[in-house]
Amino acid sequence: MLRNGNEGMSTIPGFSQIQFEGFFRFINQALAEELDKFPTIKDPDHEIAFQLFAKGYQLLEPSIKERDAVYESLTYSSELYVSARLIFGFDVQKQTISIGNIPIMNSLGTFIINGIYRIVINQILLSPGIYYRSELDHKGISIYTGTIISDWGGRSELAIDKKERIWARVSRKQKISILVLSSAMGSNLREILDNVSYPEIFLSFPNAKEKKRIESKEKAILEFYQQFACVGGDLVFSESLCEELQKKFFQQKCELGRIGRRNMNRRLNLDIPQNNTFLLPRDVLAATDHLIGMKFGTGILDDDDMNHLKNKRIRSVADLLQDQFGLALGRLQHAVQKTIRRVFIRQSKPTPQTLVTPTSTSILLITTYETFFGTYPLSQVFDQTNPLTQTVHGRKVSCLGPGGLTGRTASFRSRDIHPSHYGRICPIDTSEGINVGLTGSLAIHARIDHLWGSIESPFYEISAEKAKEKKERQVVYLSPNRDEYYMIAAGNSLSLNQGIQEEQVVPARYRQEFLTIAWEQIHVRSIFPFQYFSIGGSLIPFIEHNDANRALMSSNMQRQAVPLSRSEKCIVGTGLERQTALDSRVSVIAEREGKIISTDSHKILLSSSGKTISIPLVNHRRSNKNTCMHQKPRVPRGKSIKKGQILAEGAATVGGELALGKNVLVAYMPWEGYNFEDAVLISERLVYEDIYTSFHIRKYEIQTDTTSQGSAEKITKEIPHLEEHLLRNLDKNGVVRLGSWVETGDILVGKLTPQIASESSYIAEAGLLRAIFGLEVSTSKETSLKLPIGGRGRVIDVKWIQRDPLDIMVRVYILQKREIKVGDKVAGRHGNKGIISKILPRQDMPYLQDGTPVDMVFNPLGVPSRMNVGQIFESSLGLAGDLLKKHYRIAPFDERYEQEASRKLVFSELYEASKETKNPWVFEPEYPGKSRIFDGRTGDPFEQPVLIGKSYILKLIHQVDEKIHGRSTGPYSLVTQQPVRGRAKQGGQRVGEMEVWALEGFGVAHILQEILTYKSDHLIARQEILNATIWGKRIPNHEDPPESFRVLVRELRSLALELNHFLVSEKNFQVNREEV
Amino acid sequence: MVREEVAGSTQTLQWKCVESRVDSKRLYYGRFILSPLRKGQADTVGIALRRALLGEIEGTCITRAKFGSVPHEYSTIAGIEESVQEILLNLKEIVLRSNLYGVRDASICVKGPRYITAQDIILPPSVETVDTAQPIANLTEPIDFCIDLQIKRDRGYQTELRKNYQDGSYPIDAVSMPVRNVNYSIFSCGNGNEKHEILFLEIWTNGSLTPKEALYEASRNLIDLFLPFLHAEEEGTSFEENKNRFTPPLFTFQKRLTNLKKNKKGIPLNCIFIDQLELTSRTYNCLKRANIHTLLDLLSKTEEDLMRIDSFRMEDRKHIWDTLEKHLPIDLLKNKLSF
Repeated sequence: MLRNGNEGMSTIPGFSQIQFEGFFRFINQALAEELDKFPTIKDPDHEIAFQLFAKGYQLLEPSIKERDAVYESLTYSSELYVSARLIFGFDVQKQTISIGNIPIMNSLGTFIINGIYRIVINQILLSPGIYYRSELDHKGISIYTGTIISDWGGRSELAIDKKERIWARVSRKQKISILVLSSAMGSNLREILDNVSYPEIFLSFPNAKEKKRIESKEKAILEFYQQFACVGGDLVFSESLCEELQKKFFQQKCELGRIGRRNMNRRLNLDIPQNNTFLLPRDVLAATDHLIGMKFGTGILDDDDMNHLKNKRIRSVADLLQDQFGLALGRLQHAVQKTIRRVFIRQSKPTPQTLVTPTSTSILLITTYETFFGTYPLSQVFDQTNPLTQTVHGRKVSCLGPGGLTGRTASFRSRDIHPSHYGRICPIDTSEGINVGLTGSLAIHARIDHLWGSIESPFYEISAEKAKEKKERQVVYLSPNRDEYYMIAAGNSLSLNQGIQEEQVVPARYRQEFLTIAWEQIHVRSIFPFQYFSIGGSLIPFIEHNDANRALMSSNMQRQAVPLSRSEKCIVGTGLERQTALDSRVSVIAEREGKIISTDSHKILLSSSGKTISIPLVNHRRSNKNTCMHQKPRVPRGKSIKKGQILAEGAATVGGELALGKNVLVAYMPWEGYNFEDAVLISERLVYEDIYTSFHIRKYEIQTDTTSQGSAEKITKEIPHLEEHLLRNLDKNGVVRLGSWVETGDILVGKLTPQIASESSYIAEAGLLRAIFGLEVSTSKETSLKLPIGGRGRVIDVKWIQRDPLDIMVRVYILQKREIKVGDKVAGRHGNKGIISKILPRQDMPYLQDGTPVDMVFNPLGVPSRMNVGQIFESSLGLAGDLLKKHYRIAPFDERYEQEASRKLVFSELYEASKETKNPWVFEPEYPGKSRIFDGRTGDPFEQPVLIGKSYILKLIHQVDEKIHGRSTGPYSLVTQQPVRGRAKQGGQRVGEMEVWALEGFGVAHILQEILTYKSDHLIARQEILNATIWGKRIPNHEDPPESFRVLVRELRSLALELNHFLVSEKNFQVNREEV
Repeated sequence: MVREEVAGSTQTLQWKCVESRVDSKRLYYGRFILSPLRKGQADTVGIALRRALLGEIEGTCITRAKFGSVPHEYSTIAGIEESVQEILLNLKEIVLRSNLYGVRDASICVKGPRYITAQDIILPPSVETVDTAQPIANLTEPIDFCIDLQIKRDRGYQTELRKNYQDGSYPIDAVSMPVRNVNYSIFSCGNGNEKHEILFLEIWTNGSLTPKEALYEASRNLIDLFLPFLHAEEEGTSFEENKNRFTPPLFTFQKRLTNLKKNKKGIPLNCIFIDQLELTSRTYNCLKRANIHTLLDLLSKTEEDLMRIDSFRMEDRKHIWDTLEKHLPIDLLKNKLSF
């Protein structure tokens, strides 16, 4: 449906395709599969049967619009209609009934759940099947194990020990004999011996006692259960026991699924039919045979590489949604059964629809999905920082999540790049920190085979016969298990002379090795230089000159770039900017051709084949990451447009290209130490010309509740005991006025919570006030919504959401304009990041030979150790492009055409620019790329020529405004009575042990004491110090221990250790016990 | 005493505009030379002028805009392609030429559908737009569009805190920096002891003033900064107690004039500014407004010219006359001043 019509053309696939394909499979196949599984509900007593049919189900168009769902905090879903049959005696009713709502994916590849964009990430899991492994134990004897992995991720192991006994480890604790397992699964000894290649081994190890255990299936099951569930004593065989084992073991650990069955057949050379998705005794025996074969060296000694992509599968949205649908149908089944029973009590005549109509039943589906989206770890809040982030988020693959690995325990090998990743999972794009290597990103050409869950990568087929048959080359998609059998030439072959290609040897990949192979032996070759990289990676120009670690940081940091108020295309790019921007869907693209009737800031009217279509535009809307989404019309009135043309541009796109940052003039030089340790010095121009100005929209909300006494909170302007100044922005309803400028502490929504007016709960002055003035002191507490610290801005929207009369929610959206300032983080596209340390007036900045002041000054020492030389190429080429008014789009690995190709290109362009603009300083042969520049304060030239250029620099979302924090006094944590941590809680800075050592080292006893007592957890002292400062008295000196010491003493006491403090008088040796 | 030394050299210090062109309505270019300078002087003048040109020149900008009925500056108006925010950004970039002081009002009042450009701004008489084609907004529907603007002449840039203005106007972070770029270079010529330097000065402006005017204004502003040193005896109160120990050499204007009178080698009248004449502030302002900045300017004007200046009174004339008489050689006055 959404596939490219021209498959053979090998265009870059749509970047959101991965998500769409998954969802289509869910809608088109998975729904039917699950509905097929829905059993006929029969009630034998009443001759009633209820049935759902998988054929002819329908999804209604969603009743609300996408943007309304976001605004009203609803779920964007569509109703599912299924045909059902009810047999009631001799009466057969057939009806198309609605069984509930299913969340629908929108054009971004996301879902809208309760007004929040959410996305489901593809999970990459070990395929079900069997994996063999040989290890050396601590004595140096090899142990052979085969691990069977079920569809649910359950593991059971088969192992052979040195006495040649074969064990199955079904749970972590217990291992049981293979014979017990096989017998429990239903085969008797005769069958076992008939089906194995080495019956003598099977016969050798059971002793008499064991033989007795497996003489019947029941006994074997009993034995197995005892071992599996670790219960002692004598058990009696029963049906329930059998059932429990079925549920706990056979379903969880033995269901192989479709993929597992195929893998099993393939690995063990079996021919069990595909629809047999459970582990059979035959599998176990074949697996054991293989194990024995390994042990005795008769079989092939081949360890399975668990990290190879052929042993992995993708669990996509389709699978997850399908599981949930199955779950919901199960619940539906129970609900219908219940309703049927109730129907008979009431003696009413049921129809299929009435059986599923009760409210609890009809919302079953949607609540199941809402909880799934809300709680499942792989369903994430859609990251909307910028268009790139949106596109990339849906293409993530994660090893984490249910059935997967965990960040803390995953081994190094499972995080590493594997040769099979080439062209499938990007070798550089992964997160930093604890999850490094566990979350990856799909390479741009990769596609997912949803049937088997493998990742495929395209190649050109160039084998000799085929090439002769057809002139044009065929594109084949290879799955990871196939690509090892091919000799794959790297992209370098592109540069070969087509005429004499037979004589050439090319670098190639074959069976996980990098070789040099004669051209005629090559089977396939890669199609595109970007094929190995993810989107983030392929947006880095000159990536081949960067260290992989820095490229990784770059691909992560580009995703953190904030859309700026006026975007600018990059001078030096890679050519992938356009498709990234288009596929992110932040721009409005014409869905059909037509003529523009009118354009406006909030809608475009388009006339297409006689119809008028109104295309609404997004106006200063908040994204999930608080950045501002805004669309600007880009087509003049009366213009005829074609399908696919850009009608309006979204944030961070220009002319349909991604534009995350700005081209600024940079110099790599030290400047008075202001760029020490990656700090960046910038010119005031970036502030006042709004070059790095971004908009941020925050949402503040408050909800009214009903108190435990049953009285409702109310929203009002009349709030006693508050300064008029704080209330100045409220309208008559008590909610902040639209368009008002608010600052920290201002009231956004005035709210009062009623309190019970008991005589004792009056505050001290209340009684006095009442006595003197006869005033009734208000009986309510002020619980208004105040603008928290750091917040300021313009109120751009106020929204009331009222679900029922007592439950009102008020949302206030505040837009903040942020210029760049000291403390903000900026980064280039090569992992070169830094913090603004100082903003200089333009006349103080170093200036070029034509007088132009530099915009940013980076530290040159940031380059050699980080090995991201790409930034140098970029900045020099950027300067040339700026002077020549050219934009460059450079594919990576241009060095395959000739040596030093990048450098030659950059220098020749600089030379050209120098000639064209008659600026000799642009290219000086003695120090190409560098130039002598001057100090703006003195006019003196700097000692050395300095590298200057135009770089594309991004402003990242880590901004001081959201981080800056200070505390004088504030909350203390309850147990330790030390200051709480975190900016959100007004927390303090922890003085840890190393900081204490520093103070001890300086011998500053009083500062140390102050920090450890008054400023921290000495309860009395910290209260008294306030009074002492106010009254100007001496600061009291307390000798009793602080709270943390008391906590320690109490913890010791709980370990039955008493720590006490006694004072012994010198005179009469009287012992005084002090409480600690 | 740089100037005296220059005066003492064989050639007088001269400046010349070598090149001047208009690249576009908002990009003017001018190249000037100053020569002959002694070794090192070019650098002194060059960097000082560059910094003054970049940092000290005033410009006229729109600082505030008031829209009819808009809830906030991030909202949109039906029938206009741009949002209010974008219109404000466009207004920020409009370059104005004026010599006003203080705050003036302007407005835009048009009826759509049409493009609004800088041409449509109704400006006070002393202000004009430099580039009439600068876009402001695009009206797509037949609506009335009115904005009230506030114009201010200022220096540098302001980022105003957005307080709640009851009148519903929005501040624009105006950038009053008419000079876009300045460069200077120094060439040495001559040989041996006769070596001297030529200072080349390149100025790019945004069109609201020509490079020549910018250079002029920058030099004046620079001189204004040095003035306190020339009025040292007025400020010298704090030195009172040390006076008997150390008397700072006071270079007062009067003293210099008497010096000049003594050496009689021709007075560089264009180097004496009227600020230095100790006129009353009223007179001073009058002259300033009439673009009279140096003594040369003053002396080249006839009495009728002076009387034509707004609010110039007879008393002022007498005051100027007295001052000049007190300080200048009579013969000069006779020659130059025709009244």
